Amino acid sequence: MAEQVIKPDLDFVKGVMASGGESLKKCYQCATCSVVCNVTPDDHPFPRKEMVWAQWGLKEKFVGNPDVWLCHQCNDCTAYCPRGAQPGEVLGAIRKQGIKEYAAVSFLSDLVGDKSKVALLFAIPAILVALVISMAGNWAPEGDVIFSKFMPIITIQMLFTPALLFGVVVAFLGVKKFWTDMKQANGVSSGDLKGSIIAALTEIVSHKKFQTCDVSKDRYISHGLVFFSFVALFITTAIGAVYIDVLHMESPFYLGYGTPVKILGNAGAIAIIAGVVLMMSNRLKNEATLGKGSYFDWMLLSLILTIGLSGLLAELTRVAGIGTMAYPIYFIHLVSVLALFLYLPYSKLAHMFYRTAAISFIKYSGRDSQSPEVAAAVSAVATGEPAEEEQTKTEQSS
Amino acid sequence: MSEQVSQILVVGGGISGISTAVEAAEAGYNVTVVEQAPFLGGRVARMNKYFPKLCPPACGLEINFRRIKLNSRIEYLTLAEVENISGSSGNFDVTVTQRPRFINDKCVSCGACAEACPVEVPNDFNLGMSNRKAAYMPYEQAFPQQYVIDEHACQKDSCGEACKKACKYDAIDLSMQPLSYVTKYKSIVLATGWKPYDASKMDNLGFTTSKNIIANVAMERLASKNGPTQGKIVRPSDGKEAKRVAFVQCAGSRDENHLAYCSAVCCLASLKQITYVREQYPDAEIYMFYIDLRTSGTTYERFLNTVKDDEKVTLIKGKVAKVHEDQSTGDIIVEAEDIMAGKKIKVPVDLCVLATGMQSTLGDMRLPHEVKINENGFMVEDINQPGIYAVGCAKDPMDVAKSVQGATGAALKAIQTVRRSA
Repeated sequence: MAEQVIKPDLDFVKGVMASGGESLKKCYQCATCSVVCNVTPDDHPFPRKEMVWAQWGLKEKFVGNPDVWLCHQCNDCTAYCPRGAQPGEVLGAIRKQGIKEYAAVSFLSDLVGDKSKVALLFAIPAILVALVISMAGNWAPEGDVIFSKFMPIITIQMLFTPALLFGVVVAFLGVKKFWTDMKQANGVSSGDLKGSIIAALTEIVSHKKFQTCDVSKDRYISHGLVFFSFVALFITTAIGAVYIDVLHMESPFYLGYGTPVKILGNAGAIAIIAGVVLMMSNRLKNEATLGKGSYFDWMLLSLILTIGLSGLLAELTRVAGIGTMAYPIYFIHLVSVLALFLYLPYSKLAHMFYRTAAISFIKYSGRDSQSPEVAAAVSAVATGEPAEEEQTKTEQSS
Repeated sequence: MSEQVSQILVVGGGISGISTAVEAAEAGYNVTVVEQAPFLGGRVARMNKYFPKLCPPACGLEINFRRIKLNSRIEYLTLAEVENISGSSGNFDVTVTQRPRFINDKCVSCGACAEACPVEVPNDFNLGMSNRKAAYMPYEQAFPQQYVIDEHACQKDSCGEACKKACKYDAIDLSMQPLSYVTKYKSIVLATGWKPYDASKMDNLGFTTSKNIIANVAMERLASKNGPTQGKIVRPSDGKEAKRVAFVQCAGSRDENHLAYCSAVCCLASLKQITYVREQYPDAEIYMFYIDLRTSGTTYERFLNTVKDDEKVTLIKGKVAKVHEDQSTGDIIVEAEDIMAGKKIKVPVDLCVLATGMQSTLGDMRLPHEVKINENGFMVEDINQPGIYAVGCAKDPMDVAKSVQGATGAALKAIQTVRRSA
């Protein structure tokens, strides 16, 4: 057996345990988790190997490892785990470490991931929005409730567009680094990038992986609701931006409730609230079997719920003409949306980038379909011939 | 009940109970064994072979039955249960109820009643894999060698006369009533034993979905000459020879969702059962899936190595977490991660044996007396409550050898209590 010196990174272990993976050390490597998981590929099954890597602090094993991102958090593994080691929660915590590792401006990562800094987390966007309103807006506009009197559209754009841009750029840089690491770690040099991304996006849109979850079947519905409402609200916002900035026309949102853009926006708002509430209630309902979810997890859910609720309530109170309620609610809405944009690459929402990249990568590297090698290994076991070569490899690498 | 004053009560007539009784009686103390089944021997009577010597339990049981038969200090009550225990060490008042056997001591076990009996029910001795009559001999070697009539299955009113007529010895008495005894004992030994963990509770192991997924206790019956297949190991669904067999270790054991503890015997039991299959079919292929192989001690370790050396036996590190039947062939597909290879594998087999663990029977029993039960359902001997002791699997999951060794200790503890209170 080849000699290998293992250098445990204890901070990594502590980090995983502190962010929802506190049950990590209970794992005794039976591999029930890898078997009950319907999402894992047969040739690189997770999460059993990730559990031992994390226990041993083998942080480098996670660099450029797409597998943790292929996990869809069904938590079938956690439900069947004989030790209460909650592999689903541990993998979530490992992903959090990955997000932190890849995102630039690391103090923002700490801010987003640390429960004790929640006040500061929201103070930053709140102060930014308040500053802009104090300078260019009006804290208590007279007359009909019109939000642009409170914070003019141009100032929203001046604040929110750079914030989103910042988030996207940081996320892009992180994903780029992740992609390079994945290529290096897996010894992949070339592939069909465009085709892989298209195939990955098609898979993501279809939500077909979620349909394979056994214990939390309704995750397919809740994630789908949130996902598609994000798409709907993005489209709505984009249309607004095109009307105002490109066509230099009046905002399409004044056109009335029967217009497609208004219907899409309102439907999106209702769906996003429904989706997040479903996610939250499922987590609470299944807490005993599937784990309670981490702070990181609940932070994103709460933020999205706040955005959805404040958006819808701001609209309702505006229509009702209750300015004293509409403006403060609208303020909350603006702050929470700004938080979402600013913290995009640092929050759990960053999974949209890394998971897309990981799914694309396994298609890019051709690892997606079961390789002939694996089929041979399976039949070798099935005919009683020990897959010696495979065993030696593992022993050497472990 | 005999006139002799009994001193020690042993609850349960399995290998632990009868060993305790024999040890105490041969040391000169009067013992009563209370057994709920119509025969003594318990779970061991259902076994094909012992590990690691691979000798039949019938042999050891026969010796013990003879020791019981020849020893006037031992009294045994079958079909009996302890209803209540009151009092304390040295002075227990015990109420025992005995269900009617409907066959008296005149029985010469000729079997005429069973032949005449028109009622067939699943044979619990064979875990339902065969049928028996309502009038039956529990198994060939049953002790006492006396037929019994199943009170739930017997249709007394419609055919009772035919049954009575069939018996030339006037041994059938359908008017027997339950009996109740109150007796004083100085000390009590609980030998209440174990039951196999209910495999249907593991919804991912497919136990209820196919006849070809069986529990290890059923494998003992399949391999036994007096079993449902006369010892031929075949698939229950179609009688096909079971030449590819998977053993699924820790089926419910070491699992917080089921039995949180290691049942201590299943690894060795499966290794033993592997030898059953390999002996019967020289070309049979075996796959044993495990988390860890727990075979502590030199002799057990040696046994493991012997089985391991068989090239037709593949031991795979990785727990099976999915089992299903291929509907078209009746084959069983077991899924696991081969941890050493780092791949998920699906292995098709003829028969899948779930190595289900040992569950204490104390956990769900209405206890006649308050005893301390640990979180796993086994009895903890309480220093503040002397006079009541546990032996065998009432105490912990353990194998026959350890149960029998423990029985000597339990007998001594019981004797000490008798002596102290004399």
